[in-house]
Amino acid sequence: MLQGKNIVESWRSLLVHGILALIFLTLIGRYYYLMIVFHEKYAEKATANHIRAVPVLASRGVIYDRNGKLIVDNAPSYTISVIPIEIRDQVESLQRLSEVMEVSVDEINRRIVKNRRGSFAPAKVFSRVPFEKISHLQEHRLELIGVTYSIEPIRNYVSNLDLSHALGYTREINRDDLKRFQKDSDYQPGDQVGWKGIEKYYESDLHGQRGFRYIEVNALGQEIGELEERAPVNPIPGYDLILSIDSYIQEATEKALADSSGSVVLLNHKTGEILAYASRPGYDLEMLSGRISSKDWQALIQDRRKPLYDRGIQGLYPAGSTLKPLAALYSLENHSNARERTYLCRGSYRLGNRSFGCWKKGGHGKVNLHDAVQQSCNVYFYNLIQDIGLEDWAVLAREFGLGELSGIDIPGENKGLVPDTKFMNRKYGQNKWTKGNLLNIVVGQGDVLVTPLQLAQFASMLAERGIQYQPHFVNKVVSKNGEVIHENISPPEDHNMASPESWDFIHQAMWDVVNGQKGTAKAARQIGWDIYGKTGTAQNPHGEDHAWFIGFSLDERYPYAWAVLLENGGGGGGKAAPLIGKILRSIARRNA
Amino acid sequence: MSARAFIISRLRELEWSTLVLVLLLSASGLLAIYSIEAQHESSAGYFVRQSAWVILGVGLFFMAYLIPRKIIHNLTYVGYGLGIALLLIPIAFQGGGSVSRWISIGSFGIQPSEFMKVFLLLALAKYFADHKRRLSTIKELMTPVAMTLGPTIMVLLQPDLGTALVYFGILIVVIFWAGISPLYFFLLLAPVISMLAAFQTLSFFIWMGLIIVVLYFSNLPFWTKVLNFSINVILGGVTNLLWALLKPYQQQRILSLIDSESDPLGAGYQVSQSLTAFGSGGAFGKGLGEGTQTHLKFLPEQHTDFIMTVIGEEFGFVGVILVLALFYLLIARLITQAYSSKYRFNSVILIGIAAVLIFHVFVNLGMIAGIMPVTGIPLPYISYGGSFMVTSMIMAGLSANMSSVRRAVR
Repeated sequence: MLQGKNIVESWRSLLVHGILALIFLTLIGRYYYLMIVFHEKYAEKATANHIRAVPVLASRGVIYDRNGKLIVDNAPSYTISVIPIEIRDQVESLQRLSEVMEVSVDEINRRIVKNRRGSFAPAKVFSRVPFEKISHLQEHRLELIGVTYSIEPIRNYVSNLDLSHALGYTREINRDDLKRFQKDSDYQPGDQVGWKGIEKYYESDLHGQRGFRYIEVNALGQEIGELEERAPVNPIPGYDLILSIDSYIQEATEKALADSSGSVVLLNHKTGEILAYASRPGYDLEMLSGRISSKDWQALIQDRRKPLYDRGIQGLYPAGSTLKPLAALYSLENHSNARERTYLCRGSYRLGNRSFGCWKKGGHGKVNLHDAVQQSCNVYFYNLIQDIGLEDWAVLAREFGLGELSGIDIPGENKGLVPDTKFMNRKYGQNKWTKGNLLNIVVGQGDVLVTPLQLAQFASMLAERGIQYQPHFVNKVVSKNGEVIHENISPPEDHNMASPESWDFIHQAMWDVVNGQKGTAKAARQIGWDIYGKTGTAQNPHGEDHAWFIGFSLDERYPYAWAVLLENGGGGGGKAAPLIGKILRSIARRNA
Repeated sequence: MSARAFIISRLRELEWSTLVLVLLLSASGLLAIYSIEAQHESSAGYFVRQSAWVILGVGLFFMAYLIPRKIIHNLTYVGYGLGIALLLIPIAFQGGGSVSRWISIGSFGIQPSEFMKVFLLLALAKYFADHKRRLSTIKELMTPVAMTLGPTIMVLLQPDLGTALVYFGILIVVIFWAGISPLYFFLLLAPVISMLAAFQTLSFFIWMGLIIVVLYFSNLPFWTKVLNFSINVILGGVTNLLWALLKPYQQQRILSLIDSESDPLGAGYQVSQSLTAFGSGGAFGKGLGEGTQTHLKFLPEQHTDFIMTVIGEEFGFVGVILVLALFYLLIARLITQAYSSKYRFNSVILIGIAAVLIFHVFVNLGMIAGIMPVTGIPLPYISYGGSFMVTSMIMAGLSANMSSVRRAVR
């Protein structure tokens, strides 16, 4: 061992001491800066780090019929999700999940990739899982690392009514809607949102407001427990809807329609409340809410009967003879000799070298206005329209709401078409259209297009002598504790179209359509109350004609007006009048 | 003198302050581990195990203190050979293509690279003590550099960049302490700095300018100057190549220092969570067991490398300062003792131990404060872990042994 004096020069020792001091001063400075100077910034960060606001879904408002009968409510639906970061290395977990759910591992992986929202957020892989599967998973939860399930409320269709087109359905919100709603509301990805019908129109009422509970989480986002310092914000449930629909009448209507394609709109002509609304064929709401397989969806949109098409408000059909009371009313108001005026019907009308037929090949003979309406004589109206002119006819049609949106409280309504001079000039060119077009229009063919709802409203206004009530599906929006948030009361709008005598004349003619010897709709007759109506034929170039029957009852007990359209239901009212007869008899049976 | 009498007299000579400082540091580590364990079932048993390590460590402290220096001196190279052999075991028995840092004995693992720190600094001390080198030629530097390079390469295979840097830190400090001339020391360190400077064009040119100035004013032969300068330029040039050879996670660790947000769940995530833990601790901390960052597992490895975040979060700036003060007292005393030691062997060992502690404290506390790269270096006496606790305790015992020379003069 060697020994020496001054082994190390003093400057070396001083330098090492200096470096040591420098290092410690650097550390102290750094920690002072972190812990004292920027304490608040990091304190906030630490708080945000471990507190998560977990949204608590507000339950969507439920839907009742007018008598408080439950139609739609919510039911729990089980969703299975996996947490990508936890399942990453858990081959057995995936294998087990695949066995239980009877879906291949590859398919599960595909869904994980598709629904992934980050490594820590659960990615949905199965929705609407039956409870047995969930309890099976519960038993094996130790073998299923990274697999979680959650309960989400979904729409539950309590009644067996086929109100698919009126109610519409909910769906997971898409990106565009999310952007649109987010400005004034609290929608989040994954939320259910009304997609069609009433569910869409009343979305803001039904939706409610989500609540939050505050939990402590660890670095993996796993829940540690409820945060005691911060009280949860309770969700505000959505408002309930009370419909104008009467389940009993609706059911009777559906039964009468059976499997036919077509639409029935039956409303209260004193209020505008829609009591029954059918558009056939409909679709299975259960299938469409939530996730629908692309196979089912393809089948729906390729179905030749077009089940997704809401015939009641979107279906455009020629109005046929149902519009004859319109021209008749005009004549009564504007021609002094309207009641006496007669025309001879020989079964057809010649205009230049073209012939316009009446439905009765043998002709009606000499007919006056009353008989022309009752027996639906075309030739009479071919003559009459030449005394009216397109423009005046169109103005009156619009007064009845034809060619206009009714403002019904479901989205997607079609306006239809009431041709006027401007339209005809645009379509056929200035003066290129002829009287022939005009003749077609007055008997509701050619360019005239209406929806069943519009004709129901027309019938309703005929019943109310020109007073219009806006049709609607929802009577009241009420909160869970019964407070009425909003009430749909359509104010009467009197169009002052005609004198009482004129209305009496029209009513009489329409009464005779049902009750007269030569009436076209005797099948709609009821015992003990009077039915008024008008049949019509919507010409269908693709097959058998569509049958129309519009009408109303002035009985105090049954203030109803309706329009029935039966696709391929035959000409001259065909099967439409018997159909409403059946429905009305059902209604009468309830009251008996 | 009987063994018993020797032990009693040695114990009388013991300066208890080293042991007291070390025990205070260990106690603060146990406190932090206790706090973690109280909240996490997964950490159950850490406190008991660490306590056992501390007790074993105290035993080894006395052993290292009581072994006569002569025996230590004579067995140094044997120890070095043993250390190398231990490092070879994981390499020899590597499975699956990767070298483990651990030697497993049942459920029990030891890290030979930790013990190697002691063996290396003893070997270096013996070399500089036995051959009173002036360290004026490259040849004289070859042996200590080779001694260090061997274990360094072995730990780099594991790969453990942090420990490799510790070995080199020991070498540099020991060479400096052994009396290398400032110029040679500069020329020795220059290549390392050249490589670091090469990451940025401007800094590289400034550094090259500095080398030219130093070489110009030195009295080295012309061709030596040229050779030296060339080596620096070439090394700087191949740095990018070397960078590419680093493992991606090692690159990431260095990069994450520059932008800690770049890899939120990698090294950068750890640093960002660690800063949050410290910062939210404030002046006096949140109190024992109240640290949310700690207990919600925001910090991985919080009982080992990131243990200081627990102290920072729960005991605040005051707690951090207290720990820093303990370390400062411990290390500053070692430097003073190294300076006043009459024996070259003792002096170099003391400064070597100081170097290990400085390196560990600075890199660890700098890393978790976001001013050093994340290298996976534990905090002496505080971090959980048996091998390093034992090594640190042996170093403390050795330092007490080496510094008690004055009174032991016979």
